[in-house]
Amino acid sequence: MKKAITLKVNGRDYDLMVPTNRTLTQVLREDLGLTGTKQGCETGDCGSCTVLMDGKPVNSCLVLAVEAEGCAILTIEGLAEDGKLHPLQEAFVRHGAIQCGFCTPGMILSAKALLDRNPFPDAKEIRTALSGNLCRCTGYQKIVEAVEAAAQGGKTDG
Amino acid sequence: MLLPRFQYEAPVTVAEACSQLKEYGDKAKVLAGGTDLLVNMKKKLLAPERIISLNRIEGLKEMEAVDGGDLAVGSLCTAAELADSSLIRERIMVLAEGAGRLGSPLIRNRATIGGNLVTARPASDLAPPLLVLDARLVLTGPEGERKLAVSDFFLGPGQTRIRGDEVLTRLMIPKAAHPGAGAYIKLGTRKAMEISIVNVASYLEMAGDGSLTQVRIALGAVAPVPFLAASASQKILGARPKGPEDPLFREAAREAAREAKPISDHRGSAEYRRAMVEVLTYRTLKAAYERLRAVI
Repeated sequence: MKKAITLKVNGRDYDLMVPTNRTLTQVLREDLGLTGTKQGCETGDCGSCTVLMDGKPVNSCLVLAVEAEGCAILTIEGLAEDGKLHPLQEAFVRHGAIQCGFCTPGMILSAKALLDRNPFPDAKEIRTALSGNLCRCTGYQKIVEAVEAAAQGGKTDG
Repeated sequence: MLLPRFQYEAPVTVAEACSQLKEYGDKAKVLAGGTDLLVNMKKKLLAPERIISLNRIEGLKEMEAVDGGDLAVGSLCTAAELADSSLIRERIMVLAEGAGRLGSPLIRNRATIGGNLVTARPASDLAPPLLVLDARLVLTGPEGERKLAVSDFFLGPGQTRIRGDEVLTRLMIPKAAHPGAGAYIKLGTRKAMEISIVNVASYLEMAGDGSLTQVRIALGAVAPVPFLAASASQKILGARPKGPEDPLFREAAREAAREAKPISDHRGSAEYRRAMVEVLTYRTLKAAYERLRAVI
């Protein structure tokens, strides 16, 4: 069974015919070519498929694409503006918060949702906000430091 | 890990959802947040022919105080909404605590209160708080609505009294007769994405003379269903505790451990779980009492 939907991703509308059993992760990656959203465990445990739906971070592997219609979806590709990285992306680079990079898009989007809601979180709030995103390189400390730095305006030295 | 194929329905009214449920019976499954259903479908534990999504129905996401001061919580309210709601945090912190410990922030943005109850897991994070708050479920079927206490809802793991053509539309949380406070503690080995080894919620109400007019203690993950430890509550009902460390709270905690019926599995042994029921019951009673004292 297929359904016609309009998906709003990174500010752009896409008219699509999607099989109803396709997840938002699959449609983003395979139909729209937005492979920044990673497909990891596929069961909501790892957070590598994190996207923002109406500003809230969700596991896109557990959202049917047809259910995302009407929501504003933000993926990692939508963060940079005019070729300029988002302050969180800059901070991740500067603080060595990226090792293999697989968890990075999800980490950054979860962090963005946190900073949009709470611009000055403490380390505990950052760790809680990122607790659904696993980093198997286990580089958590640098990730937390990068988010702290971005929260302070990205001005601290790495 | 692909989802099996299914027909997708997105009714816009509860009545339409009920008639579809009636028509398709066992071949249909209701989709709310999907954090449980879609995982089970990917793992091939479930393969419904039809998915009936509740997400296009208006009015199931509302949370409001209604006539007489009861709180009505729509079944599609997410765990994150419960955990962050000022209405919930001010009036029934114990529910915000349970919701705040469910899954991860990502899961909490999708998982719904209705889904958490209908899936009926023994270690549910929302059932113990709702049990101690004496919440009622409103089940809507083709013939109208009926109300059921949460304590009467669960039959076994994954089994409830909801009928095939009914939709859980909202939860009603009664206004307390006296000032009340509760607390929820979840024991796990990690702080996120954890299935409780044991969880406990306690709730107390107190009259002006310092006597406890209402005591409820609910235990999770230590029986086939989350349940109210009635005999533990009886130990302190009507008493006037002298402080948060009153020996009566210890006595109630010991009784709760006797009421638990835990099993041994890879998450913990029955003996360990029983011992932890006593510890957590004491701590939740103490925390609830301290919170109560802070407001009266």
